[in-house]
Amino acid sequence: MSATTIDTMAALTGFSREAVEELSRLKGEPNWVRQQRLAAWAVYEALPFPQRTDEEWRRTDLRALKLDRLRPFQGFGLDGHVPAALADPTDAAATVTAGDLNAGVVVQQDARTLRTEIAPEAAAQGVIFTDLDTAFRDHGDLIRQHFMTKAVPSDFGKFEALHAALWQGGSFLYVPAGVTVELPFRAFVRATEAGGSVFSHTLAVLEEGAEAFLVDAYGSPSLDGQGFTSAVVEHVLAADAKLRYVQVQDWGRNVWSFMTERSLLADDATLNSLHVTLGARFSKSSIAARLQGKNSLAEMLGIYFGDGDQFFDHHTWQLHESPYTTSDLEFKGALKGSARSVYSGLIKVSEGAQKTDAYQQNRNLVLSRTARADSIPNLEIGANDVRCTHGATISQVEEEHLFYLQARGVPRTEAQKLIVEGFFRPVIDRIPVEEIQGFLESAIARKVGI
Amino acid sequence: MRERRETMSETSTGIGTSNGHGATGTPMFQIENLHASIEDKEILKGVDLTIGQGEVHALMGPNGSGKSTLAYVIAGHPSYEVTEGSVKFFGEDILEWSPEERAQKGLFLAFQYPTVIPGVSMANFLRMAVTNVRNARAEAEVAAGGEAKPMTPREFRRLMKEKMAMLKMDDAFATRYLNEGFSGGEKKRAEILQMALLEPRMAVLDETDSGLDIDALKVVSEGVNALAGPGMGVLLITHYQRLLNFIKPQHVHIMMAGRVVQSGGPELAHELEAKGYEGLRAQVGAAV
Repeated sequence: MSATTIDTMAALTGFSREAVEELSRLKGEPNWVRQQRLAAWAVYEALPFPQRTDEEWRRTDLRALKLDRLRPFQGFGLDGHVPAALADPTDAAATVTAGDLNAGVVVQQDARTLRTEIAPEAAAQGVIFTDLDTAFRDHGDLIRQHFMTKAVPSDFGKFEALHAALWQGGSFLYVPAGVTVELPFRAFVRATEAGGSVFSHTLAVLEEGAEAFLVDAYGSPSLDGQGFTSAVVEHVLAADAKLRYVQVQDWGRNVWSFMTERSLLADDATLNSLHVTLGARFSKSSIAARLQGKNSLAEMLGIYFGDGDQFFDHHTWQLHESPYTTSDLEFKGALKGSARSVYSGLIKVSEGAQKTDAYQQNRNLVLSRTARADSIPNLEIGANDVRCTHGATISQVEEEHLFYLQARGVPRTEAQKLIVEGFFRPVIDRIPVEEIQGFLESAIARKVGI
Repeated sequence: MRERRETMSETSTGIGTSNGHGATGTPMFQIENLHASIEDKEILKGVDLTIGQGEVHALMGPNGSGKSTLAYVIAGHPSYEVTEGSVKFFGEDILEWSPEERAQKGLFLAFQYPTVIPGVSMANFLRMAVTNVRNARAEAEVAAGGEAKPMTPREFRRLMKEKMAMLKMDDAFATRYLNEGFSGGEKKRAEILQMALLEPRMAVLDETDSGLDIDALKVVSEGVNALAGPGMGVLLITHYQRLLNFIKPQHVHIMMAGRVVQSGGPELAHELEAKGYEGLRAQVGAAV
C-alpha cells in the first residue's frame, strides 16, 4: 500500500457507497464481490436506524454512537507483523487465541489478515480454515452458497446490511463430511486504532457428520476515541454435524460492539456454544440457534461480567422448527461498578415441533448498588406436546454467605471472590475443555479484582 | 453473679498457666456483662461466662433465650450490635476484630444452620480457610520469633483425607459444593471437619446435635471429643441433655432471657432434665 492510499482512507469518515467501493478496490476484489457489497449497501440505506420502539432495541441507547465520525475501515498501511498481544498476551482474548495446540489460526488486525495457518493433517482431509478474502478467491462456490445467504442474510437488519457491505478479514471454516478435527481452530480479531471500524465475519460450514471446535476472540487496547465493530457469525451444520464454538469478546473500553450470530442445525446436528462477554463500552449480541432438523440439539452457554460503565445486551433465540429438538441455554452474568446488562431470551416452538425440550436460564449477580441487570425471558409455543422451562434471577451476594466464609478465616474480599467464582462455576463445569475452563477462571478473577 | 465469675476465673487461670498460654491470671475466654441487640431489640442482657483453657462448657436454655445470638456475637455476625460489655480471648478484646480475624486467632463457630454456597467446592473452600488461618498463625509465630512452615497442597490433601476418615465422610464429599444438597447430618459433619482442619483454641458448637440421628450424633461427638482437650476449649450450646451423654462438659450453664442465670457442674444438666426449663424458671425467680 502506498502512503497516498493511507491518506485517502484517513480522509474517509462515515459510511458511504464511496467507502464500500474504495474498500473493494483496495482489496482488488472481482466484480461479483463488489456488486454484492453494493447491493448490501443499498439495503443498509433503505433500512431505518433501529428505534427504541422496536422491542429488541427498547433498552438500548444508541445516541452516543457517532457513526459519521468513524473511519469505515483501516489498517491497510500496516507492515503485517503479528500483534504483540499474541506473543505476550495481555488481554483475555489474546490468551484464548494464543494456545499452543491448534488445528488452525487466523489473525486479523483492523481490516487486514496478518496470519493464516492450518495444520497439515486437517488440510490433508479437505478441511479449509482461512481468512475470508482467500476464501472468496479460492472457494467462491462455497462462499456463494453460504456467505450471508441463509444463516444471516444480508438484508437481516441495519447493522447486518452494513456488515455485508463492509466486511473485512474474518475467517472461513469448512469441514467435509465425516471429518472430525479435535483441536481448536482459532480466529483472533484485533483493532488497534481509535475511531476505526472492524467488520469481522465468521463462517463455519460443517458437512454431514463433521465435527469441529472453533474459537473466536475479539480484543483491542482501550483507546480514547470511539471504536465500532459489527461482527456476523454464521454456523451451518449439516445432518449429524457437531460444532463446539467459543466466542470471547474482550474489546477495549472505547468500543461499541454489535454481533449477530445465527446457527442452522439440520437433523441430529449438535451445537455447543459459549459466549463470553468481558469488554467494550457497549456490547450487543444477538444469538440464535435454529433447530431446523429433527433431533437437533443446541447447548447455549453465556458468561458476562461488566464493570465500570459497561453496557451489555444479550438477546437469544432458541428456535425450535422441527420435532424432537432440544435446546439448553444458561447465561450467567455479574455486574459491578455502574455496569448494566439486559438479557432477553425467547424460546419459540413452531407449529408441528412436537416433543420439543427447551430450557432457558438467566442468572445475574449484582455486586454494587449502582450496577443493574434486567432479564426478560419469553416463551412462544405453537405446539402442544412440548416441555419448555425458563427462569431468571437477579440477586446480590448474600451477607450470610460472606459471614460464613469470614467465620472460617477467609477475608471478606476473598470471600466475595470465592462466591462470584462459585456463581459462575456451574457454567464453567459444563465446558469440557480444560484450557477454556482455566481461561474463564482467570478472566473472572481479573474482573473481580478490577 | 460476680462471685460465681470469680470462682470460674480461678479454675481457668490454673489450667491456662499450666499450658503456658496467656498471662497469669487471664482466663482463656471471658464474657463480661455482654449486651447485644439486633434491629434495636436487645437479646443479650448482660451475659457473664468464663471458660478456662481446654475446658468443655455446656450452655443450655429454652428456645429464644439468646444462645444462638451469643454464638453469633462471639463469631462477629454483622447483624448484631454489641451495646455493652466485653468478650476477651486470652486477654484480648475480640469485639473490635472482624469475623475473619477472630477465626484466624483461633475462634471457631460450628453453625446451627450451615450456609449453602453454590459453586464453591468443599475442597476449594477448605483449602482457602486452612490457608488463611494457618498463614495468620504462622505470621504470629514469626512475629514471636518462631518458625513458620507453609502447608503444601499435598500435606493439605493428606490432612483433609485423614480428618474426613475420622468423621466417616466419603471422599466424594470434597468435590461437592459447600453444603449444597447435604443432609442435616452431613452438614454437621462438615462443620466438625472444618473445626478439625482449622484447629481452633476455642470452639462454639451451636446446636450441633440438632437434626442428627443417633449414629451421626455418635460420629460427630467422637470427632469433638478427639479434638477437645488442653489445646481446645469448647462451648456446647444445646437445647437437650442428650448430647451431654456423648460429650461430657465440666461446667453447665443455663441461659434464660438473655442472661446466664445458673451455673454448675454436670449435675445441673440432670437437674434440668428432671425439672424442665419451667421448673428452673420458677426456681431462679421472677427476674427472668
